[in-house]
Amino acid sequence: MSIFEYNGSALVAMVGKNCFAIASDRRLGVQLQTVATDFQRIFKIHDKLFVGLSGLATDAQTLYQRLVFRHKLYQLREERDMKPETFASLVSAILYEKRFGPYFCQPVIAGLGDEDKPFICTMDSIGAKELAKDFVVAGTASESLYGACESMFKPDMEPEELFETISQALLSSVDRDCLSGWGGHVYVVTPTEVTERILKGRMD
Amino acid sequence: MTKQHQNWSPYDNNGGTCVAIAGADYCVVAADTRAVGCISPFTGAVRQKLGMLRVISHLGMFGGELSRADKSLMASSGFQADVRALQKVLAARHLIYQHQHNKQMSCPAMAQLLSNTLYYKRFFPYYAFNVLGGLDTEGKGCVFTYDAVGSYERVGYSSQGSGATLITPFLDNQLKSPSPLLLPAKDAVTPLSESEAIDLVKTCFASATERDIYTGDKLEIVVINADGIRREYMELRKD
Amino acid sequence: MKIDFSGLESTAPLCGANSEMFDGISTSPSFQIPDTTDFDDFQKEAIQMVKPAKGTTTLAFIFKEGVMVAADSRASMGGYISSQSVKKIIEINPYMLGTMAGGAADCQFWHRNLGIKCRLHELANKRRISVTGASKLLANILYSYRGMGLSVGTMIAGWDEKGPGLYYVDSEGGRLKGTKFSVGSGSPYAYGILDSGYRYDMTVEEAAELARRSIYHATFRDGASGGVASVYYVGPTGWKKLSGDDVGELHYMYNPVEPTVVEQEMSEA
Repeated sequence: MSIFEYNGSALVAMVGKNCFAIASDRRLGVQLQTVATDFQRIFKIHDKLFVGLSGLATDAQTLYQRLVFRHKLYQLREERDMKPETFASLVSAILYEKRFGPYFCQPVIAGLGDEDKPFICTMDSIGAKELAKDFVVAGTASESLYGACESMFKPDMEPEELFETISQALLSSVDRDCLSGWGGHVYVVTPTEVTERILKGRMD
Repeated sequence: MTKQHQNWSPYDNNGGTCVAIAGADYCVVAADTRAVGCISPFTGAVRQKLGMLRVISHLGMFGGELSRADKSLMASSGFQADVRALQKVLAARHLIYQHQHNKQMSCPAMAQLLSNTLYYKRFFPYYAFNVLGGLDTEGKGCVFTYDAVGSYERVGYSSQGSGATLITPFLDNQLKSPSPLLLPAKDAVTPLSESEAIDLVKTCFASATERDIYTGDKLEIVVINADGIRREYMELRKD
Repeated sequence: MKIDFSGLESTAPLCGANSEMFDGISTSPSFQIPDTTDFDDFQKEAIQMVKPAKGTTTLAFIFKEGVMVAADSRASMGGYISSQSVKKIIEINPYMLGTMAGGAADCQFWHRNLGIKCRLHELANKRRISVTGASKLLANILYSYRGMGLSVGTMIAGWDEKGPGLYYVDSEGGRLKGTKFSVGSGSPYAYGILDSGYRYDMTVEEAAELARRSIYHATFRDGASGGVASVYYVGPTGWKKLSGDDVGELHYMYNPVEPTVVEQEMSEA
């Protein structure tokens, strides 16, 4: 079994009309054994920028702490929040620093940029960025998520519809994956507010 | 014993995806016609398109035309040589059955036969992932889904092959039918009409083709119902 | 009296690819063996390619009123769930059940085969086969294929002339008589609940609830178990299915949640 599949994870981000949603599962496992069902994989960087870290949980937490540290330094020096594009480059650079002993994480970055234009991107564990206009996925359920999102996604959804779509895609995908699931965590971010919801899911 | 090349393998994977949906009085079986050559996991050689294939067998005389009497349809993906061999064996067994009993084999019987045929190659498996669709003895749609060594199960819908992981979650979402194991039992028939089911299959393949490189070119759909059997095609992405 | 040795015969001969003409359509089926110098290596590679369905929690125990048998219904290939509705409790005849863990095809096929053998025994001897006899038939078959890569972990549970019977049989040739077994990747979790809640003098209702709860807890902790928890009871009049519950709903029945307002602020780490 790959080290990326050791803890199990499912991550997805979708773009809507002037908004975005990012969602993850809640399981933390050790291979097939479920250890916790309230695990956080999505982290807030600032009000309009979120990062989700799939893959090995310990690396996800370490990487998150380093990202927060770098973002705080940026805030002190520049006296403003980072743009999502800039943050993506930062994540990419931090990952590439460890080119020959990488963090076993595949990040998903979602944020609102200039004029509240949504931005989503994912990258591999050594920082190769992949930008998308519609949706990005990561984790052990990524194949299922690709299929579900590809069939369910529509461009320019309003926040409520976006929430419904991303939740349906997430839940139906993790129900076909042994290593992720046990509930879901969804953030819908619009220029004015952030809504966080916890999804009830199958607990097997 | 013949001396074999170090990396030689009797298997290749030509990819391909199939889907089957059973309704109250119909069954839809669909598969893409792309076949990809030389993607052996042992050699990892360059991919190459092999061109169009007829992938859905109605288990009549091999290569024959669809007939009103046909009761089962089989769609397979995996290694085309094994798929062909398997479909030929089944067609031959079916022919013998017809001579002996003067009737077509029912779909549940064919399902059992396919399972046994696959299992008798347990130690040298057919590298084929199959779905079998048709009408049962009561005229209800039925779908049977298999693994490569013959474990099988009757289901309301199924997807097999390289795009199965992409298609199945979406089918679950759209068709989620109560499990047949529940007690008290709940009715497990797919609630869609025939045309809705065909549209759903088309959507599935359009999506799978976007992300799965082994799926594409053309989609073959065969529908079986009380009125008979018919085939239609839909174009898919060619890249 | 002639002793019946038919149980000792293997069901189908093994043969190489030497009957090309009727390959696959011969009247007496046989297992085809690959023409290779290294069978073990070939098996390993072939199994890796076809990835047969696996992953399970099954359990069975004897108590005062009979035998309780329960199982989940998930089949997985690697991390992917290939089915949520596998029938893992196989009905061999109205008085005997088999459970399925390990390779799905191996279990299905050999239980079907065992069903045939039990029926033939019944016709030849004018009485039902004992659980001891049936489990020995299966164990002998599996032993004859030992080392060839079969993967079966099964329990044969039933009611015969001597009362309730329970055996564990596996593809390594093992056959154990016992009163309490659990098999599969989720079995450690199921044993935990089962051992702490088991009493010999339970009622049928108590035993059914214990079995269902054990399966539920196993599906919760084990990633490769899930779907529907089926519970069967075998008594003097044969087996009966007592319940089949979707564990997705069972979880919220065992752990009710009241809806809460989730307008909470995220805390700074």
